[in-house]
Order: sequence, then structure tokens, then C-alpha cells
Amino acid sequence: MSDLNSRSAELAKLLRSLPQEAAAPYGYQEFERRAHERARHARGLAGGERLAAACVLGAVLLAVLVRLGAPGGAARLPATGAAALVRTAPGPEDETLPPHAGLAERWLASLPEEPAIVHVGTRAAVLGLEDRIAQIDDLLGAAGDNGDALARLATLRQERARLVGTLVQVRYAEVLADGSL
Amino acid sequence: MNKSRLIGARGAGALACVLLLRAAAAAGPPAAAAAPPAPPLPAVPAVQLPSQAEIDAQLRSAQKQLEEAAHEVARLSTQFSGSVMEEFMPLLAAHVVIGVQLEPVPGNRGARVREVSPGGPAAQAGIRSGDVIVAVNGTELKGDAPARQVSSLLHDVKPDTPVSLRVERDGKPLALTVTVRGAPDLLARLPRVQDFGLEGHEPFIQRSLRDMELASLTPGLGSYFGADKGVLVLRAPADGALQLQDGDVILAIDGRSPESGSHAARILGSYLGGEKITLRILRQHKTLDLEMTMPETTHQRDVHRREVVLPQVDPHVTRLAPQRSPALA
Repeated sequence: MSDLNSRSAELAKLLRSLPQEAAAPYGYQEFERRAHERARHARGLAGGERLAAACVLGAVLLAVLVRLGAPGGAARLPATGAAALVRTAPGPEDETLPPHAGLAERWLASLPEEPAIVHVGTRAAVLGLEDRIAQIDDLLGAAGDNGDALARLATLRQERARLVGTLVQVRYAEVLADGSL
Repeated sequence: MNKSRLIGARGAGALACVLLLRAAAAAGPPAAAAAPPAPPLPAVPAVQLPSQAEIDAQLRSAQKQLEEAAHEVARLSTQFSGSVMEEFMPLLAAHVVIGVQLEPVPGNRGARVREVSPGGPAAQAGIRSGDVIVAVNGTELKGDAPARQVSSLLHDVKPDTPVSLRVERDGKPLALTVTVRGAPDLLARLPRVQDFGLEGHEPFIQRSLRDMELASLTPGLGSYFGADKGVLVLRAPADGALQLQDGDVILAIDGRSPESGSHAARILGSYLGGEKITLRILRQHKTLDLEMTMPETTHQRDVHRREVVLPQVDPHVTRLAPQRSPALA
């Protein structure tokens, strides 16, 4: 019995030591203020997302414009390193060429001379195309010397651009097979 | 005070909604309860998912198809360009290509490089657009037709021959060496090809060699295999063509040492079906000479260039005692 009393007294002492009432973290006014704050922050985030979306859209539009040949767009890119192999001063006939021709050559120039593992069939096709393009380039110089009409030269240039496009396709297949992409 | 009332009212409404929903769920859908039970679905056979090995095999097959398709695209595209270029061909005196578009420069002292062919001989030699070529093999370029002059200077030059160029880049002199390549054949599409009973020309390389995989020999690989030069055969032709085996090192093809996988592909691609060929290889640290005949094919490439039009000019390589294909004999 005395044991029970002593326990009760101890329990009562512990209860008395507790605070009178757990204070509410904040009142309704504070809740309202914080809610406003959160809403304002959320609006700010949404604005940031809109800004980011606008940036992405702008970048996509820019890429499309470059790809579709914004006048002189490709030629204005700096030619450094391997990319210096590409033309820097396009001639007047180039308006007849696909606008992405310069980009294709930049990509080709960025590749290693040959993949680590040479798949003979694909490599032979690449070499054949490169030889044919080299032949066209030699011809273009000679035809220009010969005073050939621009229309005839344009035909050759278009043929060159088509072959370069094919070379890109074959090189891409080669790079895929090599697993280096 | 108003707020607590509002909260109380919302709580009561929510409680009412919950009770209503529970009651509706307990009652069940009246129409569904009356409907007859649906017939059992037919037994679906267990789906056998492909194993990793099967997927890997399919992937390899798809990659092979991709390579074959790329090869076909290249073949057709090259064939198409032949007809466009034929009318211009008389402008070129040389039987080799260098891979640059040239244009006159003011004062007619040299030729400015307008374009460099991707992967072409000039590109490999380090020539850039904007460079001015002032001399070829020691002969200065003069006049207002420098491209044709270069072609004339290369008239007697054979494929795979180094040609020295004197170049000005940004006003500074530069000496470069270009290894010229044989001009691709444009004439295989002419009717005379049919006179030989050939269906066309096998583009680029024999079909039986296309699945071969090669790697240039690095110093580390070379010390492992016991060779300081050559090309490693990673995957030999599946049909046993050339008698090669995986792990062989090709030291020479008819006496010509391949310097890279591309170089080996270029040399091998210059042979016709039926021609004799000797490969010097290293197999398990032993040097062997393999003598064989290139596999026959219905498509023979470069017929006119080799046998009719330019019999003096070897397109890519200097070969020892090339033999005529029996198909042409």
C-alpha cells in the first residue's frame, strides 16, 4: 500500500513538472501568413519553370534555325582544330546546297580517322565514298578553271553534298557498330 | 469563431459523404448484381521471354543488317554519282585524286584551297581550307587555271605515291606530303561491262570479306603477339575466306604491309574474285605464307579501270604479279 502511495506521489510529481499546456506552434494569423508565403514561393517557382521552359524553347528554335540554314549560321561558327577543315568562306553557289552540309562535315571532322575495331565491309564503303568525294572536289576545281557555268558547277556541288550526306549515314552506322557512341 | 464554425460544417459534410459512400459500397451495383457471370477468359499460354543470349544474338543480327544497309546505301549513292560526273571527267588529266577544291588567287601565284574532302588524301596530310598551294613536287603553280595545272602535274603519278606540296598558311611557308589515291572508277556502268557477262560491279570489297573485323596493332598488342607491325584479325571471315583465323596478324598482303585496318581493307578491296593473293601472317608466333585465290563473285569491280581503260595504273596498291580473273580470260 505504501509502495502504491509512493508511486502515486512520484507520478504526481512528474505530472506537475510537465508544462501547463503544449503551446500551439503558431496561431491562425501566423498560419495565414505562412500560407501566403508558400503560395508566393510556389508562384515564384512556377515563374522560374516558365522561364526555364522559355529558355529550352528558345534553344530548340535556335537549333532548328541553324539546322534549317539561318543565312550564314553555320559559317559563323568558329573553325578550330579539326573543324578547321571545313570551309570558312562559302561561295555564291552554296545557296543551292542543303543548309546542313557544313554541320555534316564538322561532325565528320570530329570523328577519329578509323574506329578502334574496323568492320571491313563498312570501312570499305566509307573509303569508297571518301574517294568519290575527293574526286568530285578535284573536278570542281578543274571545272571552275574551265569557266564552266554556275549551273553546271551547282550540279556537281549538289552531288558532293549528297555524297557527304551518305558518308555521314555510313559513318554513323560504323560508329554505332563500334559502340563508341 | 466563424472559422471554427466553418471548419465544423466542413467536417460534418465530409463525414456525411464518407457514410454515403460506404452505404453505396455495401449495397453494391444493382445492375451488376443482376447480370449473369462473365464467361471465363481463355487460358493464355505462358509468355516465353527471350533470354539474354537470344537478345544478344538478335542485337548482333540487327547490327549486321545495319551495316549491310549502310553498305548498300553507299553502293547506290556512289553508283548514282557516276552518271553525274561522267561529263566532267575529261577535265581531269590525272588518274589519282588529292581531294581539294582549288581556286585561283590574285596575282596567279598558286591555288587557294576552297574545300578539303572529308577523309581524303589532303585532309589526312593536314591541308586546310584557306591554304595556298604554291608548288607541287617542286613545280610552282602559275596562271589562272591552277586546278588543271595540278591535275596535269599529277598525270604520271601513281596511286599511293607521296606528293610534296609547298603551301602557304597565314602567310607562312609549310611543306606537306600528300599520298594520292587512285581515282574511283566511273566506267563500270557502261555497256562494255555487260560484254564480260558481269551483272555489275561489286562495290568496295568482296562480299565474303565484309564480316571481317580488324584492329591496328598498337605497341602493346604487338609485343603480346610478337610483331612490331601488321593488322590484328579480331574476327576472321565466317566462310573461311582468305584462310584466316581469329588472332592472326596480317603482316603483308602480296608484299605490301598494311599500316592500319583501313589500309588493309583498301588493299583487300582492290582484288577481283579469282585473283591469286598471298598473305604473310603471324599465327601463334609463327610466320606463315598463305596462298589462295580470292573468292569468285558475280560482281567484279573496277573492270574497265584495270583491264580496259587504264591498264597501266594500279588503283590502290602495288601488287606483285596480279593475275587476271578467270571470268575475264
